[in-house]
Amino acid sequence: MLIKLAWRNIWRNKKRSLITISAIFIAVFLCVLLRALQLGLYDNMINNVVGSYSGYIQIHSKGFWDEQIVDNSFSPDKDFLNEIESIDGVSNTLQRIQSGSLASSSDLSKFVFVTGIEPLKESSLTNWEKRLIKGQLLKEESKSLNVGKGVAKYFDLKIGDTLVLLGQGYHGMQAAGAYPVSGILDLKNPTLNKISVFMTLPQAQDFLSAQNMITHLILNKKENKDEDAIALDIKNLINDEVYEVMTWREMIPELEQTIKADSAGGLIMVFILYMIVTFGIFGTVLMMTQERKYEFGVLISIGMKKIRLIKTMIYETVLLASVGAILGIALSRPVIIFLSPIKFPKEQAQMFENLGFEAVIPLMNTYDIPLTHGFIIFFISLIVCLYPLSVIIKLDPIKAMKI
Amino acid sequence: MNVIETKNLKKIYSQGEIKVNALNDVSINFKQGEFTAIVGPSGSGKTTFLNTLGGLDKPTFGNVMIDNLDITKLKANKIIDFRLRNIGFVFQSYNLIPVLTAKENIEFIMLMQGYSKEKRNKRALELLDAVGLSKESKRRPGQLSGGQQQRVAVARALASKPKFILADEPTANLDSSSTKNLLDIMYDLNRKEKMTFIFSTHDQRVIDRAKRVITLEDGKILSDKIT
Repeated sequence: MLIKLAWRNIWRNKKRSLITISAIFIAVFLCVLLRALQLGLYDNMINNVVGSYSGYIQIHSKGFWDEQIVDNSFSPDKDFLNEIESIDGVSNTLQRIQSGSLASSSDLSKFVFVTGIEPLKESSLTNWEKRLIKGQLLKEESKSLNVGKGVAKYFDLKIGDTLVLLGQGYHGMQAAGAYPVSGILDLKNPTLNKISVFMTLPQAQDFLSAQNMITHLILNKKENKDEDAIALDIKNLINDEVYEVMTWREMIPELEQTIKADSAGGLIMVFILYMIVTFGIFGTVLMMTQERKYEFGVLISIGMKKIRLIKTMIYETVLLASVGAILGIALSRPVIIFLSPIKFPKEQAQMFENLGFEAVIPLMNTYDIPLTHGFIIFFISLIVCLYPLSVIIKLDPIKAMKI
Repeated sequence: MNVIETKNLKKIYSQGEIKVNALNDVSINFKQGEFTAIVGPSGSGKTTFLNTLGGLDKPTFGNVMIDNLDITKLKANKIIDFRLRNIGFVFQSYNLIPVLTAKENIEFIMLMQGYSKEKRNKRALELLDAVGLSKESKRRPGQLSGGQQQRVAVARALASKPKFILADEPTANLDSSSTKNLLDIMYDLNRKEKMTFIFSTHDQRVIDRAKRVITLEDGKILSDKIT
């Protein structure tokens, strides 16, 4: 009956309650939408940069990250690979060898990163098939190149054209070769598109005179596993005098910093919205409490314990807040599904890509965002309850009934 | 048998530097089944006396013994629980909970006493029948007349099966027909169930029906007559 009483009390002043519920609804709706947009964007950025290229964890020869040359490569044996793959959370590994080279075609030349990959395994990390925009993907036995669309555009390369590569191989050996282009890739990252040239791992090892050597051992993690925990397990397993283990956060700190900075801006916005909601709820609860001091006096007189009265006020406040929050959560979900992914018109899309971002923003459609905001509203309503609680605790029924 | 005994009750209010003796050495007993009117001019201490008997107000000096328990010594939470289980209140302006129906208002007290839903329902219907409002059980206070609201208030006061009912000017807002109706109901309850009623009133119609009339003036008992 206390809940029934609380519910009916909410509707004593319909207009006021509706205004409060609307304010909560709008705030929750906007907060969920804003966070879904931001977290979706970050997730997309991480997936593009980390999930599709660098991997969540990499193992290198000690010192490679500071001096990224082929001389700092290593040769992993089968036992070492088996040991790494047996660590909890690691789904699979893939090997790469990478070196900077000068690429030339016609009378143009530019710096590129030549990366030797295992084409079949690479698909598990990079959705390789989806990256292809022209030609054919590399196969295990391919002797050709796949290039980023930025490289192809710079050299005006077509399928079958030759790209000359010139660089330094293992231990000062000269690395030189001319290779046909068999495929053009969109790596969903404009920077990577402009500098990436891929060949098979054996061919790259041959090009760099680094037989059986690799510069990167990339680890794919299982879903919902924490890369930091996996990295720690690996560090405990391997000799840290010989190898270095890095997570994407260490390898691409600027990505995390960008996300943190942008997220902080979003959180300030959310904070402002919640401040408005807090004062909205507080205003209503303040009026509900002041208007009913006489009634509280009567209820205490006839034997209602203060704790029950406080419970009723908590029910009222939480119910009031919950109606708005549930509406906000329920209506934000279909809107998120409808809007996601947000695609930009061509000109704006180009501008985004020039800035290094993919011109698509998928909205994050998970339950934790609405649940978090539902919990925040619940918490706010409990904080607001402190006011009627203090009024009721101090209430003298005789004085209250003299109003 | 005495239900209530007061000993040397004093209540002194301070209004700035002036001290007002609202109750001045009041010692009096009330027996089971009495139908008592407390009368006197405004400011004579009627309401303060009722509030003190009901444990709503603490006396400056003196004791209020209810069934040999000194309620002036009870702590705040205990006194609320004591009121719930032992005292029924009827107020001048009815003071029903506006969002609950007549039946729910009566049930509310029993809910706080921990009665089962079945028992609450049964007793609420019995009480509504006793005050002649069976047909109005689903109406909210705003949909009832003043007289009907006061009858629901009496039913609510009875719901907790109290030792006595304190009624502060219960007929002050009622017309003559509602007053007569209410008095008949209370008089019947007093006669049949030996329910003790103590009213404060100015209303001659109530005074005429009372079996005992206590007159207060300046916080002192001026007269105590059995009629």
